Amino acid sequence: MKRLQTLKDDGGKAFVAYIMAGDGGLDRLRDQVEYLQGTGVTAIEIGIPFSDPVADGPVIEEAGNRALNEGVTLDKVLLEMKSWDFELKIPLIVMTYLNPVLRYGAERFAESCRDAGVSAVIIPDLPFEHQQLVAPYLKQAEITLIQLVTLTTTENRLHDILDAAEGFVYAVTVTGITGVRDELTEEVKEFMKTVRSKSPVPVYAGFGISKTEHIDLLRDDVDGFIVGSAIVKAFHDNKIEDIEPLIDAVTHSNPV
Amino acid sequence: MTKVKICGLQETEHVKAAAGADAVGFVFAPSRRKVSVEQAARLAAELPESVERIGVFVNADLAEILEAIEKVPLTMVQLHGDETGDLIRSIPVKVIQAFSVRNQKDVGKLEQSIADYVLVDAPGIEYRGGSGRTFDWTLLEHAAIEPGRLIVAGGLDAGNVRGAIESTAPFMVDVSSGVERDGKKETDKIKEFIKTVKGDSMQQTKGTEKDNGFFGRFGGQFVPETLMRAVKELEEAYAEAKYDPEFQASYHSYLKEYVGREQPLTFAARLTEAWGGPRVYLKREDLNHTGAHKINNAIGQALLAIRMGKRKIVAETGAGQHGVATATICALLDLECVIFMGEEDIRRQQLNVFRMKLLGAKVESVTKGSATLKDAVNEALRYWVSNVGDTHYLIGSALGPHPFPTMVRDFQSVIGKETRKQILEKEGRLPDVILACVGGGSNAIGMFHPFVNDESVRLIGVEAAGEGVETNRHAATLTKGTEGVLHGAFMKLLQDENGQVQEAHSISAGLDYPGVGPEHVHLEDIGRVEYNAVTDEEALASVISLSRLEGIIPALESAHAVAEAEKAAAGMGPEEILIICVSGRGDKDMATYAEKLEGLA
Repeated sequence: MKRLQTLKDDGGKAFVAYIMAGDGGLDRLRDQVEYLQGTGVTAIEIGIPFSDPVADGPVIEEAGNRALNEGVTLDKVLLEMKSWDFELKIPLIVMTYLNPVLRYGAERFAESCRDAGVSAVIIPDLPFEHQQLVAPYLKQAEITLIQLVTLTTTENRLHDILDAAEGFVYAVTVTGITGVRDELTEEVKEFMKTVRSKSPVPVYAGFGISKTEHIDLLRDDVDGFIVGSAIVKAFHDNKIEDIEPLIDAVTHSNPV
Repeated sequence: MTKVKICGLQETEHVKAAAGADAVGFVFAPSRRKVSVEQAARLAAELPESVERIGVFVNADLAEILEAIEKVPLTMVQLHGDETGDLIRSIPVKVIQAFSVRNQKDVGKLEQSIADYVLVDAPGIEYRGGSGRTFDWTLLEHAAIEPGRLIVAGGLDAGNVRGAIESTAPFMVDVSSGVERDGKKETDKIKEFIKTVKGDSMQQTKGTEKDNGFFGRFGGQFVPETLMRAVKELEEAYAEAKYDPEFQASYHSYLKEYVGREQPLTFAARLTEAWGGPRVYLKREDLNHTGAHKINNAIGQALLAIRMGKRKIVAETGAGQHGVATATICALLDLECVIFMGEEDIRRQQLNVFRMKLLGAKVESVTKGSATLKDAVNEALRYWVSNVGDTHYLIGSALGPHPFPTMVRDFQSVIGKETRKQILEKEGRLPDVILACVGGGSNAIGMFHPFVNDESVRLIGVEAAGEGVETNRHAATLTKGTEGVLHGAFMKLLQDENGQVQEAHSISAGLDYPGVGPEHVHLEDIGRVEYNAVTDEEALASVISLSRLEGIIPALESAHAVAEAEKAAAGMGPEEILIICVSGRGDKDMATYAEKLEGLA
């Protein structure tokens, strides 16, 4: 995860790609990760399917349901990742809801993530107040717990959350759920400026980033972008090459 | 172990000495021990969390009591005057009602009290509220008062308190002048008194419920960061409203004038005869406007939304009863209303869907997952996340992130509070068994909560066993579920070994939910409430018995409680009392009854 800070220090912008593990079968995951690594993304977020993904919009929910129908589980994803023998040059981040983690056992989860080469974890329904349930085990396994902040995060909470932030901060750019959107407001721009001025680590914008215009609007106010639904949809439609301009828009302006 | 209350504290030193007690009392009524609210707040800050802070009042008005509750803050209120039942019901914390006992007639009065606890004292001389003299403890020998509700006061000291405990076996003993010398409290005497009652162990007992949103290990606020602000704002707004006399008055006024409360506690003579066991009473939530208990909560939350400046309401519904209640109150109060309902439930509950539409609500069909209540909650949560600025999520059961489970319970506790008063009026004592059905568990927690500290009252929650708990088609979360997080709370869930939430099944749409309110999980965990499961078939059979024996066609949900009651009654005698919460009426289930029970006629 240190490379994320280095990228920022060098003036580059990060592109974090989200994929739903097992959408179309778990055997696709390896190819998807290798492909994305080849396109020059900065990191890959691997989503674990969950029966009740209340923070996600329809695109990711449907992908998750397809993965669940394929019999994909947290355990199977971590075992699959552990088996990979190709060279991984970029950090892998696991995004999962809390319940599968609790069921798996928080300590075992942290250890399995370490064994699978996972660098960081995002748990959207584990708010800052309850992080003690999982955080100590992740720390022990030297895995970063990514903090989320949103447009509705109050100033006091923002301070506390940023204080604990490691790796990068996931800044949610909408008040809603994940999904493809047409416009991002000026309010978002202001919010990003505030978070970035206070954050000790790079700040990445996520939720609703699907167009190069979104990237142009926010480029100067963030350190990177997280793109989920647009990539999940492209993989599902077998049109992943359509997403390359979006990746290029972020990474090509980076210094070589 | 008998609990100890040290009363009439005025000095920091004495409050610290009382830290080993279970409760301390601050006197706000005229007395040489009187303190101001500000003084009491300062003194209370010196105490450990586990010690109850009790405010003592004589004929104070509600506003004064509520102000003290909020500012000290008090965890209980003790009343020494001629306070009415209405006042007692309006107090949002546990209430102790004090009685001076000279003779058997006085004992009769305390037996009628609807307060959570009764405190027995000898008659005062100068001021009301304690005389320093002991009363005749033997008067209580035949009193119809649960020992779990009894607090003994009056002239106790380290010398006589063991005798008082042996004679009356009270829940708590209360001392004031017995730990004073020349009218002033003495640190050594306070410590000696506590030690005498508790032995040397000085073991601290802890409360079962805390204000941080957890019931024991269960509850919490497991929501995405996008919702945290809304949840915290709601928590603050409710904490204020709870102690605001105007808000409480408005809420109770709607219950009375619009819902038609209070609802009767009907003696079920033919059911009693048919079962041949206990005297059976029915708490008639089916008589509420809109046909079920759901409206009690919908009114409370809608008034809170307005107080928060929100004019749009989103809600989920299973059987449609909560949706109808919400749509109704939104029509009455001119609020915009969106209801999410599973496609499968829409099919089962067409009449309620039409009702909601007629009332002006927008009904959104949820086709995802099992297309039932769980999925409707998911969609309602998503809608709330996206519209959080101007929309209140009016959740229908004692579920979800804090403060929802506490708030819904408080709004539904009117059920148990009325029942308690009514059974004391009718039978002069508390019931032996109370049953209520549990889906998310709002009617049950509202019924149970006012009785939780009455150890003699057996509380039974009834889940849906669907086609049987041994099959995978049931909704028996407490019986068969495991611990996990769903919809914002750590509770029990029906889930697979990978933490994926499973579909619940019940013939009753209102019980068809794979989780259960966190307070129920806690009450099960500590062994206070037992939870049993009843099958679709057993519930349907009870629909017939209640219809034919009492002329009351119950909702399918409520029929589960009736079915379990019949089992419980089998082991009970004619001197015993059993109460069933009839949470709703069967109108909405008529299509199911027609289909399943055809040929009956």
